[in-house]
Amino acid sequence: MSGRTPIEVVDLALRAVRVRDREDLAVRLAQTRRRLLDPEVRVLVVGEFKQGKSQLVNALVNAPVCPVDDDVATAVPTAVRHAATPHAVLVDAAGTRTGVPVGALAEHVSEAGNPGNRRGLRFAEVGLPRSLLAGGLCLVDTPGVGGPGSAHGADALTALPSADAVVVVSDAAQEYTATELDFLRQAALVCPTVVCVLTKIDLYPDWRRVAERDRAHLAAADLPADLLPVSSVLRLHAVRTGDRALDRESGFPALLPLVRERIAGRASDLAAASVAHDVRAVAHQLATAVEAELSAHRDPRRAAALVVGLREARERADALRERSARWQQTLNDGVADLISDVEFDLRDRMRRITREAEAELDGVDPALVEEQFTGWVRQRVSAESAANFAWTHQRARWLSGQVADHFAHDGGDVLPDLRGHDPSAPLAHAVALEFPVPEGFGFGRRLVTGIRGGYGGTLMVGMLGTVGGLALVNPLSLAAGVLLGRKVVRDERRRMLERRRTDAKAAVRRFLDDVVFQLGKDSRDMLRELQRDLRDHFTGRAAELSRSLGESIKSAQRSVDADADERTARGAELRAELDGVAGLVAAADALAGPVGALR
Amino acid sequence: MTGRLVDEVRSLLRAAVDAHRDDPDTAELLRRRLDRMDGPLRVALAGKAEAGKSTLLDALAGEEVTPTGTRVVTHRHGPTPGVAGSPAVDRPARDLPDVTLTDTPDVSATRIPAAEDEADAVLYLMRHLHSADLRLLASFHDRGVARATPVHTVAVLSRADEVGAGRIDALMSARRVARRHRADPRLRGLCQTVVPVAGLIARTARTLRHDEYTALAALAAAPRAEAESAMLSVDRFTRAGPDHAGLLARFGLFGVRLSLGLIRQGFADPVRLAAELRRRSGLDELRGTLSVLFGERRDLLKARSALLAVDAVLRDQAAPHTVPLLTEVERVLADAHEFAELRTIGVLRSGAVAFPAGAGEEAERLLGGAGAGVWTRLAVPADTARRDQRAAAWAALGRWQRWAENPLSSRDFVDVARVVVRSCEGLVDQLDD
Repeated sequence: MSGRTPIEVVDLALRAVRVRDREDLAVRLAQTRRRLLDPEVRVLVVGEFKQGKSQLVNALVNAPVCPVDDDVATAVPTAVRHAATPHAVLVDAAGTRTGVPVGALAEHVSEAGNPGNRRGLRFAEVGLPRSLLAGGLCLVDTPGVGGPGSAHGADALTALPSADAVVVVSDAAQEYTATELDFLRQAALVCPTVVCVLTKIDLYPDWRRVAERDRAHLAAADLPADLLPVSSVLRLHAVRTGDRALDRESGFPALLPLVRERIAGRASDLAAASVAHDVRAVAHQLATAVEAELSAHRDPRRAAALVVGLREARERADALRERSARWQQTLNDGVADLISDVEFDLRDRMRRITREAEAELDGVDPALVEEQFTGWVRQRVSAESAANFAWTHQRARWLSGQVADHFAHDGGDVLPDLRGHDPSAPLAHAVALEFPVPEGFGFGRRLVTGIRGGYGGTLMVGMLGTVGGLALVNPLSLAAGVLLGRKVVRDERRRMLERRRTDAKAAVRRFLDDVVFQLGKDSRDMLRELQRDLRDHFTGRAAELSRSLGESIKSAQRSVDADADERTARGAELRAELDGVAGLVAAADALAGPVGALR
Repeated sequence: MTGRLVDEVRSLLRAAVDAHRDDPDTAELLRRRLDRMDGPLRVALAGKAEAGKSTLLDALAGEEVTPTGTRVVTHRHGPTPGVAGSPAVDRPARDLPDVTLTDTPDVSATRIPAAEDEADAVLYLMRHLHSADLRLLASFHDRGVARATPVHTVAVLSRADEVGAGRIDALMSARRVARRHRADPRLRGLCQTVVPVAGLIARTARTLRHDEYTALAALAAAPRAEAESAMLSVDRFTRAGPDHAGLLARFGLFGVRLSLGLIRQGFADPVRLAAELRRRSGLDELRGTLSVLFGERRDLLKARSALLAVDAVLRDQAAPHTVPLLTEVERVLADAHEFAELRTIGVLRSGAVAFPAGAGEEAERLLGGAGAGVWTRLAVPADTARRDQRAAAWAALGRWQRWAENPLSSRDFVDVARVVVRSCEGLVDQLDD
């Protein structure tokens, strides 16, 4: 690296555009600068349950903040951030924050203290004075995926697009399973940086073979992720005893720089890439003007032709600014398509759940399986909506690429930053799924129903009997009464079961309706916002482009009108200016270099 | 009690062989089934990859099984053509009499094991209870009424020594996890029980060699700090001595730690160390569970799988002259009280019927859910006098009769109670002879 930090490069570029009175470009760079100064980097630690995720977080920050247990431990996501003094905060679904002692956190976020997240916490926050976190790194320990009945499993997938990086944890006991590879593939689609960590290498003699196989799996799936074998236990032990050799064996000396530079260094690496991109785009626009004037200087005869070319380019750029521009159409059509596709996909997914749920309900008594059943529905809904969300995100990114293609011709193809569109809070918690309270069929009601049926039966057969000269109440009519009474009770019971099933089905359908309604609204809002952002972004780009070309035309014109002396002096000036711009490009390239090497 | 059922199944099989005498393949298949009625119970070890199937097989069979005739190795193709499964290995289990253990190819979410069709009972191995395991276990039950019972499946937490990341109290933790799984309603409907076993330790304990003991003893005698630093990780341990890689392969890091601890505690000769390792590995509990749940029910389980096989063949190759046979199969399945017991245990475990406090457990026990022996069913010590056993049986019979006849009991409960009453009558009968 040339020693310039991204912020210095941005400031340099800012000075350069201010000198040339290009306020429009300055605004854009100021935005880049703001983004750079908000350094929080969210790193999700995800994986199947019992792979050592919490222990990995603990070893990274060298403090027992996340509960570790031999049985399934983590029930609530825990975000670990930098803070001057250690503290812990619980955040519930309504957003209420409650402070707790750091030591008592385990009672709230562990499966033992809060089974199945019964208290409805959304997440916990922990602040620790650690230099690793000081750069704005935020490590999020998540509940394991794939545990039986873990409704929060799918939440990890929903949270992925809002994360800057994912650490996928798997232990050295066995190579990647099909489910893990699926998860990795999905993570790679929606998240810019994926790091794979192989844990517990202190325990399995075969870890090297497992690591090799995992790498082969990653390569076969075309996932450009590193695999780092580590041992959290060794790391914690090494830090406690100050044993450097042991620390090396733990694999953390390789992992920490990666976390610090590649992940936490969004401020220095990942963001540097976007800074470099922005600065290069700005430099390109500055250079166009200067180069135009310079070539007009060198060969005044061709200046006229140059001006014509530039005019054409400006017309193209102006056309881009029109509301009727092709890219606007692409964007509008694309978003409309996307909205209808996403809604259809969502409805289709929910319809499938409805169908499955109804088939399931036909075989059981809803009153007996309510808890299991609602849990299952909730889990399915959360998984499906996560998949829908990930798909939406992917499509949105593809769309913005499509739109950017229209600008490729004139070097304005800068993709906007699409992250920041976080999914709204997982809705499955907001909508309630409850079966209506079943009618009681206690002894009293059974008795009354039975007697009612029995009475009718006795009377019917008794009346017939009286025709034959028997008493109204005779053994025959009594027997008929008993039989009919039993039949009526049985029918009633069957009717009530049917009714419970119908009610339950209606409840599921209502629930899924609400979910579609709410999710549909959320995704529509998200896409509309996206449309607005993209429109503003590209309109801005078009304006810049047009202005740059306008400047070029002006300068080229100027050189046509100038006399020989003026021309020479101006030529030197222009060359110097061009050198300045080239220096800016070099600085941007220096920033982007290491990132390209890392990824 | 099972005698009559076995005879019925045998004659059914014979009739089926006779009915298919024109079709040599089918006849041969059925004849093999018939032979197996006299052979040992076949237990398949199933599980996902790396669940520790072969290790546990070795541990249960004991490695000293000599290659001279007693060890049968058969190669079976993987369940899906084109996918090379590991060969199935059949071995007689040494001190589980009349049981043959079968290693099966790995199962995965997409490949449903075929071995289950051939086996009479299944030992399902898993590292943790993953949702995929639940799906697989459920897939064992998805076929037909008679199969819809967890009676032929026992789940094993097979790598119990890894539960606590190799900590010395890992096995205790494993027991705790297994206990939680046992109480899980989803698992209760799918398998009889969950047993934790440290397969590697169990295998090594059964085949501990003297040179291994000497190496361990030397390690135990070394200064403690040195030994502990060497045992922090597998890499360190391998580097610390030339024979250590071998030790690791045989014991695992946890096994070495445990052995050293035991030697220091005074289990200072190979025999006592092996015995203690074996005790701690949980192998004996597994063996006990198997002998009660599978061994005592051997004939019933064999009869059940044979009936299912006949049923499948008859349905597959339906012909007019085999229709009476199919009816006969249905009749035996529906009539035999033993099957009614199995079905009822399935119903009980699914939790679909509400019970008065404690009655559910008692019903399951009386139906033979915890073991088919008379005293197990009555929950009395094995050495109880016959007279007292009879008294207990009569008491249970009376209690369940009252429940069965109580007009206030729910219909489902009465159905269960009637089966229990019949089981109690059988017990009284047996004790009166």
